[in-house]
Amino acid sequence: MNFSISITYWSHFVVISMFALGLLGFLLRKNAIVVLMSIELMLNAVNLLLIETSMRTNTPEGIILVVFVITVAAAEVAVGLGIVLNLYRLKGTVKLDHFRNLQG
Amino acid sequence: MGETLHNVMLLAPEVCITLFLCLLFIVDGLFPSLRSNRFPMILTVVACIASMILTAKVGKTPAAFFGGIVVNDGFTTFFRYLFFFTAAVSSYVAFGSTEVEAKSRIEFSLLLLCVTVGMSLMASASNLLVLYMGIEMVSIISFVMAGFRRDNLRSNEASFKYLVFGGVASALMIYGFSLIYGLTGSLNYSQIGASLIAAQGNVGLITWLALVLIYSGLAYKISAFPMHFWAPDVYEGAPTPITAFFSVGPKAAGFAALLRILLTVFAVKTGDGNWKAVEGLSFTAIIAVISAATMIVGNLSALGQTNVKRILAYSSIAHVGYMLMGLVTLDRSGITAIIFYLIAYCAMNIGAFWVVGVVSNIRGREDLEAFRGIGWSMPVLGTCMAIFIFSLTGIPMFSGFIGKFLIFGSVIKSGGFLWLALLGVLNSVVSLYYYVKILKSMWLDKPATEESLRLPFYHAVGLVGLAIPTIVLGLYFTPILEFAEKTLATLL
Repeated sequence: MNFSISITYWSHFVVISMFALGLLGFLLRKNAIVVLMSIELMLNAVNLLLIETSMRTNTPEGIILVVFVITVAAAEVAVGLGIVLNLYRLKGTVKLDHFRNLQG
Repeated sequence: MGETLHNVMLLAPEVCITLFLCLLFIVDGLFPSLRSNRFPMILTVVACIASMILTAKVGKTPAAFFGGIVVNDGFTTFFRYLFFFTAAVSSYVAFGSTEVEAKSRIEFSLLLLCVTVGMSLMASASNLLVLYMGIEMVSIISFVMAGFRRDNLRSNEASFKYLVFGGVASALMIYGFSLIYGLTGSLNYSQIGASLIAAQGNVGLITWLALVLIYSGLAYKISAFPMHFWAPDVYEGAPTPITAFFSVGPKAAGFAALLRILLTVFAVKTGDGNWKAVEGLSFTAIIAVISAATMIVGNLSALGQTNVKRILAYSSIAHVGYMLMGLVTLDRSGITAIIFYLIAYCAMNIGAFWVVGVVSNIRGREDLEAFRGIGWSMPVLGTCMAIFIFSLTGIPMFSGFIGKFLIFGSVIKSGGFLWLALLGVLNSVVSLYYYVKILKSMWLDKPATEESLRLPFYHAVGLVGLAIPTIVLGLYFTPILEFAEKTLATLL
């Protein structure tokens, strides 16, 4: 019992660190690809939490949700990379500082 | 087997749209010559009408099905009607615009139908997993639609911004889902709600965190404070017909999901048909602050803009603020007012963006300068725009006024949030300034050059078709109000 509590504690620590790292990466990094990677990191942190919870509460829903999250994240990255590729084709760079056309 | 078939039958409108989607694919493969004329639009409109008929058929008896993960109640039915109508109108708008190129029209129709299925899934979801799938189905396809003009840098930039903020918002939301799942051990709304009630106020900080995270994911969809900042950029960069769709369809879907999750999970129905926040989670004060912030940010940012698309984008943020106001009282009249406002907003906002699209097709840009004297050269367009703008401002005799009147009225009647109603009225006054700027440019400024412009009949029919409900709902609104009340009565 003690063991499972300590696992919960540590997994939460890992989850929050990963999520915060992803959020920081999203806020601070200027490379489009790295921003997409940061979003992936956030989603994977959540996946970890879902798996942990699913094991702890002994219910299958969490693991099912993880499968869907992974699939959706893959679709999102596919679209994202497509857009980044198109941006590169049009502008010759993926540095976000160079995309400042939409400002009021 | 029999039960599964019965459940699929209850999902008939979505299935119908999906079948039409497949049909479009097949027809496009067999007859490539059809893709550049109006055939995809006709098929889209037919699909939407067929789904509306099916919605009316399956919506008669409220039911939860597929083990309670999807519900089919009056609320779902109402939003299905709204989404199918929006999709049909949007495809009509897009096929008259040069921004959606003839060679890629079929892709537009396919994406639009996909988003429509996602939206109606969002409205009927009664399980966090289904809600997540619905939201992502809408989001990911919206990213593609925002970047529809592949050779246009602005369109692509809008698409990328939409994608990045969407990704973060959905990550925050799914974090909230996983916290809720950890606390209650279930993803079903009814079970989560039961667990929260059973906690009897002893909910703790984590539940609040989960609520805030889930809200932030949905706030991104409805572009409410503090997740609103993507909206002006995306609305400006995306092709105008698609902007018109974004400002109504996914936003209404976000409202559907937000209302359902707040009313069935985080609130309980009281005996008199109103709601009460779950003990220990009284979120109404927070919603009030968010609503105030959304209105103020939207209206004040719009004041200094010169691009009409951007002005309307900020105005659509402000309208979300007004609509959220109906949620703070958690009573039937407030929610009914939100539903009525969504109907009014749908017609007037698509109309306003449509006019911008027509003007930008003629002049090649969409700032205030492009609108100079356009009311005199195209009177029908100018009059319709005046109707939409007056309605958006909330001037009596137009549907927007009735919507605002009902919302402010419900807030004042409840007595608790008088400052919010006052702020709403003040904001409406402020919004008059930037709305009138557009009208002044259209009607009072003389055109720079003498030119004879003619509004194509295609656009005139559609614009008048949207202007009529905007006026009629401002004068004769009782049936719609009764319909909205009936919608809420069966909320499962």
